[in-house]
Amino acid sequence: MLTSGLQIYNANPVFGGREGLHFPFIGLLGGWLAGGRHWHFAAMWFFALNLLWYGIYVLVTQRWKHRYVGDNDIKALQQSRNPKRRIYAWHRIVYTSIIPVLLLALLSGIGMYKPAQFHWIVDFFGDWFALRVVHFLTVPTVIVFAIAHSWLALKAGGDRLVESMFWEEDGQRQQAK
Amino acid sequence: MHPTDDAPDDLPRRSFLRIAGLTTAGWVVGTSALTLAESVAGKLFMPVNDRLDALLLNPQKPVPEFPVSAIEPKALIVNTFRFTPQIDPATFRLTVNGAVNHPLNLDLATIQKLPLTSMVIRHVCVEGWAAIVQWGGVRLRDVIQMAQPKVGVRYVYFQSADGYYESWDLASALHPQTILAYQKNGALLPVENGAPLRLASPIKLGYKLSKWVTGITLTSQLLPQMGYWEDQGYEWFAGI
Repeated sequence: MLTSGLQIYNANPVFGGREGLHFPFIGLLGGWLAGGRHWHFAAMWFFALNLLWYGIYVLVTQRWKHRYVGDNDIKALQQSRNPKRRIYAWHRIVYTSIIPVLLLALLSGIGMYKPAQFHWIVDFFGDWFALRVVHFLTVPTVIVFAIAHSWLALKAGGDRLVESMFWEEDGQRQQAK
Repeated sequence: MHPTDDAPDDLPRRSFLRIAGLTTAGWVVGTSALTLAESVAGKLFMPVNDRLDALLLNPQKPVPEFPVSAIEPKALIVNTFRFTPQIDPATFRLTVNGAVNHPLNLDLATIQKLPLTSMVIRHVCVEGWAAIVQWGGVRLRDVIQMAQPKVGVRYVYFQSADGYYESWDLASALHPQTILAYQKNGALLPVENGAPLRLASPIKLGYKLSKWVTGITLTSQLLPQMGYWEDQGYEWFAGI
């Protein structure tokens, strides 16, 4: 999504138009504008359906109650002297905040993809330029998130937490203690 | 301490470099492979996306328009694929033919006597930019109705004086805001924007909106040639 998006961006950079700064080929996917659009509008289905499936999963299993940042994390940041607990609180703040960012990427993307049928989305963001800026800003946000999230996950739970996220159910249970 | 115990200091750096190198190489090879496969991705997903476009289109419902004060005169970029044809308005004729009972050959005066539709809409380019423009002209549906299309007509082809060609689905062509424009931003349409007659519509991307339109052909089938950019790989429906 990111690299094909940057390929599309290069056709007419959000900042500066055609004279604006273009991204180098290493960050691109698709080779030309139509190729970038092909991948972008193929990948959007996986992105959107994944997000939908995750939303249903979190709602149905009621994991939303405990999974995200809560008062206890804010309290921990203000009061706790336990550095591990503080890191963990930051960790939860970071991964909770990526969800609205991903939803915003999707919403602004739909607004740009179908501005006539979903004109209210463009109105919601103000105008066309604002819509493009928001959609573009999700790129650096997601990259910074990926780095911060990995780093905090390692600090909060080390290898065991990271491994538990991918394959070890047990690890997760032990970590929670 | 064993002398070889110095090694662990070196080893992570070496393996780090190796991992970084492999990641970069993998990235380049991966994106190159996916770039080569872009037409495969297009062929797989374009039919789905085109169908979604057609589903989203509400053929009778007008798209909300903008006030005249919202017009962005400088935002409209001129994209032309070959050259700017010079057309003498006195000898200009618009032909409408194909699967119609009553082929037409209209001069500009006749076209301009048809009811005028004016709209301030957002013109969206596939490149990502957009401009709010006022267009004035005749509804394409009025012209198509004059030609009395035969039963089974599903597509509309447009030929331009510069060799550009396009094809549309009938529902989009009959949309109340799809017009053959001869006015732009309150003035006569400039030649670089497609004078004397061009397509304008809020429901299609810019490359569907042919300039210097001289011929309209109604068909019951989509021909192998779908449009100048479509034949190179761009989406055909291109609804927005």
